Amino acid sequence: MVGTDVFGKLELELRRGVVVLATLSQLRKPRYGYALRQALADKGMAIEEGTLYPLLRRLETQGVLTSQWKIEDGPPRRYYALNADGRKLLNRLAQCWQGMNETMEQVLKEDAP
Amino acid sequence: MTANEIIEAYVADVAVQLPRKQRNDVAFELRALLQEQMQDRADAVGHAADASMATDMLRAFGNPRDVAARYLPALTIIEPADGYKFLRASVIGLSAIWVLGLLKHLQQPLQSGWDLLSVMGQWWGGTVIPSLWWPGLLVVMFGSAAWTRRRWPQDAEWKPLATDRLRGGRAAMVMGVIGMVCGLYVLTEPSRVLDILWGGQAAPAAYQALTYTEAFLQRQAPWLFALIALNIPLYVSVIIKGRWTDPLRTLEKSLALADCAAMAWAVADGPIFLSTGSDQTTKVLMTLIIAWTLVDLLVRKLRRVRPAPSQQGYF
Repeated sequence: MVGTDVFGKLELELRRGVVVLATLSQLRKPRYGYALRQALADKGMAIEEGTLYPLLRRLETQGVLTSQWKIEDGPPRRYYALNADGRKLLNRLAQCWQGMNETMEQVLKEDAP
Repeated sequence: MTANEIIEAYVADVAVQLPRKQRNDVAFELRALLQEQMQDRADAVGHAADASMATDMLRAFGNPRDVAARYLPALTIIEPADGYKFLRASVIGLSAIWVLGLLKHLQQPLQSGWDLLSVMGQWWGGTVIPSLWWPGLLVVMFGSAAWTRRRWPQDAEWKPLATDRLRGGRAAMVMGVIGMVCGLYVLTEPSRVLDILWGGQAAPAAYQALTYTEAFLQRQAPWLFALIALNIPLYVSVIIKGRWTDPLRTLEKSLALADCAAMAWAVADGPIFLSTGSDQTTKVLMTLIIAWTLVDLLVRKLRRVRPAPSQQGYF
């Protein structure tokens, strides 16, 4: 029986691969960090804040997100959204993910005991 | 500390590790996000945020060092594929430096336990601490190699190379054989070098420095020169074949071991040259050649790959 430690590490690797895609998918409209985290959690994709907030900055540095400070009903918040390159990247990654998902479904079905 | 003060301290610990140009902006955003998260937690449990709640939340958020690292692009100095190679080279190199340093320091006469402690102190300060140049050099070497591979990836592509190929090709092997013949000619009578360079007009002391002792000429020299000479037909055979075959490799290893044994005998038996200076220099060089040859043979043995199934059996 595989230990929980091994399972935890492998599950983390699987999740790490989809964190960027999940994040980009929720930034078609502008969101700030905490709201984005809540939106992902509501859809069943809980991402640790310590991972998500730095990721937003890195994606912005890579040129796929734009951001700006906004003051609405509360403290100033930095809103992030996909730019044109980000939307293209999201489409390509989404297609890639769907292809992999279909393949994996086939693979797992064929190899199921 | 209040919950807000704890958040402030945390944000400062993260931000101080970031580049100056993004530090304040990230700190402002992170503080706002953490305060909002804290407030939501407090609302969920129905009481005001306190220090314990803030500490728990921030510990779950991550160590400031790790969080700061996530804000920056990944920086790899030594590639993960080189990790074990780096560790092995560091450990082997440091072990060799430390052992040689210890042997050097232990050559002093030891009269008491205090002398031993003093020697260990000298070894620590004179060998162990300065030896850290070695892993430092390895970091530079591995880092440069990784940068070169990233910069010119096409040059780093794998290329098939035959395991029995001649390093440098036939031309290099022919040059090696010519060098071996010339070297043997000089070795049998070292003073010939003086005749060649100075036309026989060199100082008598120079001739004496390059004159073998009678004992060496009677005992080790015939064996040593014969064994070295045997390398010539071996390498000529390799040149003719155009590759190393298993029997030629075996012969090469046997000859190398025999050469080492003959050199070790010469080093241990007595003076090789009449002049003390020449004798000591030659013995140091021969010891280095023996060590180099044995290390090379050992490394080649350890690196040998012979595909075979493990002992675990088959399905």
